[in-house]
Amino acid sequence: MFKLNHIFNTTLYKREMGGSWRMLLIFAGIIAMYAGVVISMYEPGIEGMLAQLAEAIPELMAAVGMGGAPSDLTGFISSYLYGMLLLVFPMVYTILRANALVARYVDRGSMAGLLAAPVKRRSIALTQAGALATGIIIMIAFITILEAAVSEALFPGELDIGGIIALNSGLLCLHLFIGGICFLCSCIFSDAKHSAGLGAGIPAFMYILLMISNIGGAAENVKYATFFTLYNTEAILAGDPSGAAGAAILLAGAVPLFASGITVFSRKDLHV
Amino acid sequence: MSVINVVGLTRDYGGGKGVFNLSFGVGEGTVFGFLGPNGAGKTTTIRHLMGFIRPQSGQCEISGMDCWRERDRIQTFLGYIPGEISFFDDMTGSDYLTFLAKYRGMKSEGRRKELLDRFELSPGGRIKKMSKGMKQKIGIVAAFMHDPEILILDEPTSGLDPLMQSRFIELIAEEKKRSKTIFMSSHMFGEVERTCGRIGIIRGGRLAAEDSAENLRERHVRRYTVGLDDEEKAAAFAKDFEGAREGKRVTVSARQSLEEIFMGFYGEDDDV
Repeated sequence: MFKLNHIFNTTLYKREMGGSWRMLLIFAGIIAMYAGVVISMYEPGIEGMLAQLAEAIPELMAAVGMGGAPSDLTGFISSYLYGMLLLVFPMVYTILRANALVARYVDRGSMAGLLAAPVKRRSIALTQAGALATGIIIMIAFITILEAAVSEALFPGELDIGGIIALNSGLLCLHLFIGGICFLCSCIFSDAKHSAGLGAGIPAFMYILLMISNIGGAAENVKYATFFTLYNTEAILAGDPSGAAGAAILLAGAVPLFASGITVFSRKDLHV
Repeated sequence: MSVINVVGLTRDYGGGKGVFNLSFGVGEGTVFGFLGPNGAGKTTTIRHLMGFIRPQSGQCEISGMDCWRERDRIQTFLGYIPGEISFFDDMTGSDYLTFLAKYRGMKSEGRRKELLDRFELSPGGRIKKMSKGMKQKIGIVAAFMHDPEILILDEPTSGLDPLMQSRFIELIAEEKKRSKTIFMSSHMFGEVERTCGRIGIIRGGRLAAEDSAENLRERHVRRYTVGLDDEEKAAAFAKDFEGAREGKRVTVSARQSLEEIFMGFYGEDDDV
């Protein structure tokens, strides 16, 4: 007899989504404020304030992915939001949630309550992975709707909706990949400090490498050392197949990361 | 026929910590008291029984099922109180119990209300703000509410006041009458003496003694036969010291309490 609860525990999922909502609201608020301000700074046809800033402090602006000469609203959003804000903020959410969903329960001992029930460990881990992924999907969906709504309100008809959807599909692949790293760390380490340290450390280090490579020159080769390079907004917007390929690699990488997290959790000793 | 079977269980944490070649069985309908000083390996043994950790060698079985490989099946008829209570702090006691019932796939609230009444617990408040004793009561309700056949209790009365301790002992006595199999680690000699039919004493990860509570006491009885001047004095002596008189001779026995027996094992040299 097939029962959904044998592979996925809906009761646990509801609890975890309840916990995610509060944090999602906070992040949504911050992103809405920041993204709203940035989009409103777009001035069609002329060099805006941000472009002047890019001329004044080119290295710093380049490091956070801002620069170039965006010719339309979609390009403008891509340069000024997808270099830092939309990489870092969802990443922080993912790091915090991933750590809380597994490692913190093990560290504090409350995992014992989940294990002392006729629920397979595989099912517990899959449920937690599902809750993490759902949160990431909700955040990216929110970002897409926010960008479309703000753009339509301030600059009707200027946004390339297809382009934004393509950008955010890639962004989703990137954040699911980061989610996979954080989830695996959360499953490997029984100490929340180590889980958070590595789960935050690896993506943060990779982001710093991206910033270094953005400055260009000799440092540009650093881009081969960071997975952020696989998310190439310019290629995605230009319709270059390398853009979709990079995103596909990230998504394909996320699957084994989550799967190994689930396997590690199912096999390891839990001293709770 | 043993319901709980531990054969040659070994888990070496180094530095003399762990359990070593531990073997014992708990028969159906037996209340088994597991006594030992701190760090003797009581919780380590229980973690193996719960399938939280995998034996380095040897094996544990409950109802013929392997405690590691078939842990989720065993949990359908098992109740557990962890040695260190830790629940989801953000929930109220009632929410947590409701969550657990649904999470376990229980169709009703089971014995929840009856148990809450018995321990005079109103679980409305946040778990974070509960006292140790209140959390312990929540743990007891969580372990018994699905009316399991087998109970594994790690120091179940810690944090309870004497009144509640005796309520708990009553509960154990009732469950024993209903032929539940109970494995209980404890520091409280009184509760073990009053409830447990069989007793195992663990020291340095090894079983120092295992026998029925009656035999264990019998083994540690010292008898003295005293000759008195006449039968009248002998009768008076026998009355005062609860001895058995035979003519002018009276035999008295010094019965050690379980605590004294335990302290005897505890105090032995460390060259085990």
